[in-house]
Amino acid sequence: MRIRRMSLWLAVLATAASSQWLNYPTAGIPRTKDGKPNLAAPAPKASDGKPDLSGVWMADGQTYFFDLAAGLKPEDVVMLPAAKALQQRHIDNEHGEDPLGRCLPHGVPRINTNGLFPFKIVQTPGLVVVLYEQLNLFRQIFTDGRKLASDVNPTWLGYSTGKWDGDTLVIETTGLNGMAWLDTQKGRPASDALHVTERFRRKNFGTLEVVATIDDPKNYAKPWTTTVQTMNLQLDTDILEFVCNENEKDIPHMVVGK
Amino acid sequence: MRTKKTSRTWWWVSKTAAALVLSISASAQWISYPTPGIPRTPDGKPNLSAPAPRTEDGKPDLSGLWQPESGGPDKQFTDIAREIKEGLPFQPWAADIVKARRAAENKDDPDGHCQPLGLVKMHLHPYPRRMVQVPGLTLILFERDTNYRQIFTDGRPLPEDPTPSFNGYSTAKWDGDTLVVQSIGFKDNLWLDISGTPLTDAAKVTERFRRPTFGKLEIDVTIDDPKAYTKPWSIRVNQLLAVDQEMLEFVCLENEKDVPHLVGK
Repeated sequence: MRIRRMSLWLAVLATAASSQWLNYPTAGIPRTKDGKPNLAAPAPKASDGKPDLSGVWMADGQTYFFDLAAGLKPEDVVMLPAAKALQQRHIDNEHGEDPLGRCLPHGVPRINTNGLFPFKIVQTPGLVVVLYEQLNLFRQIFTDGRKLASDVNPTWLGYSTGKWDGDTLVIETTGLNGMAWLDTQKGRPASDALHVTERFRRKNFGTLEVVATIDDPKNYAKPWTTTVQTMNLQLDTDILEFVCNENEKDIPHMVVGK
Repeated sequence: MRTKKTSRTWWWVSKTAAALVLSISASAQWISYPTPGIPRTPDGKPNLSAPAPRTEDGKPDLSGLWQPESGGPDKQFTDIAREIKEGLPFQPWAADIVKARRAAENKDDPDGHCQPLGLVKMHLHPYPRRMVQVPGLTLILFERDTNYRQIFTDGRPLPEDPTPSFNGYSTAKWDGDTLVVQSIGFKDNLWLDISGTPLTDAAKVTERFRRPTFGKLEIDVTIDDPKAYTKPWSIRVNQLLAVDQEMLEFVCLENEKDVPHLVGK
């Protein structure tokens, strides 16, 4: 299935759903004197004094969804030969093997990057929950001081712990299953050796900046770090239910190979 | 095409049993981490009969990892009315549809097709779920297929014309120490159990959550669905705190091979 067709399909779906989007005014928005939301106001703080990342967010466009290395120089991302071959196969097969096209999870950090679908961060002391509209997924990021477990079941979304570094939440994720793709158009592979470090920083009330470091020695000669991905606060709305498998008709047509 | 599998009456029960066996044998890989904030006895054991914790606003805190008391695909998950002596007040078509579904060996159970189960059946599902209570919002995160529910406690009313969904749309208020949740906006024709007890898009579901002790959650569920039932009816679900462990990831569609075999009789 060509990527253009897939993203078009997703765009049509999103447009049709927007008239049914849940509209309820978001509480606690700082406003200017004339009542408009002041998204440049400082980021709010949680009860424990840390920046509060809670809110409904969405990636600004799909740049990193299509190409996680957008903005980097070619020499920043060095693929090992087997990885290059796998990437080429993904492209030659018209991305038909992309698990996301078969309703399987995106993996990390790709799950944050699709600017067609919002996600909701709910921050509590000890646990940060992220609810993703696309595929109706959630992540638990444990901020209770536990160390990353070793020898965990390999999973699509991994096992994540988070620590604060000043005003930045640094999230480490391991235990990924090596089946998800890192990005869509470029079809970069990710192995079960992947260790992802995400840095979430709420620059101001309305802006979240995310940077991800990919450390996957089976596929890449050295770790590489994305440029800054911007997430915009979504006001007066919420995530919808998205059940990929409901009335799913495309998969039998996604014949791999020309 | 008939297989040995479909000749069993409760083929799905065998599938779930297999999944449970798998999960028990996988327990070595279960994330074991001491649950923070559990009251413990002097010898370090969890003290689950301690009082329920409270949030800053003085309300009971329902947060925690919970699992149905029955612990398996029996009782209400198979037949939601199992504890109701007089049976359910079915509209005639609803009684007929349950008979037909049972006769077809429940081949169309949405659970077997990796669809979401809806909030009622999820209360009965044997896998754990995590409740997260913050001001204005209570979440339920389900191990089964990473489904989640949002229960809004910020005072908003139920919506006028919600988009039908598997989990409906939920708002809640505290009545003393009981969280009373109202939900509407369900997709038509959800299954409340493996038998195929129906729920229609006319349904209004009321849940009453109580945490009488640290380790116990009591949920009373009332179904008010005039399209399918002549009057409202209720069940009780008890859940127990699951300590020193974490949810696994469960992705129903991964390597899914059973669906082509679900042909019934």
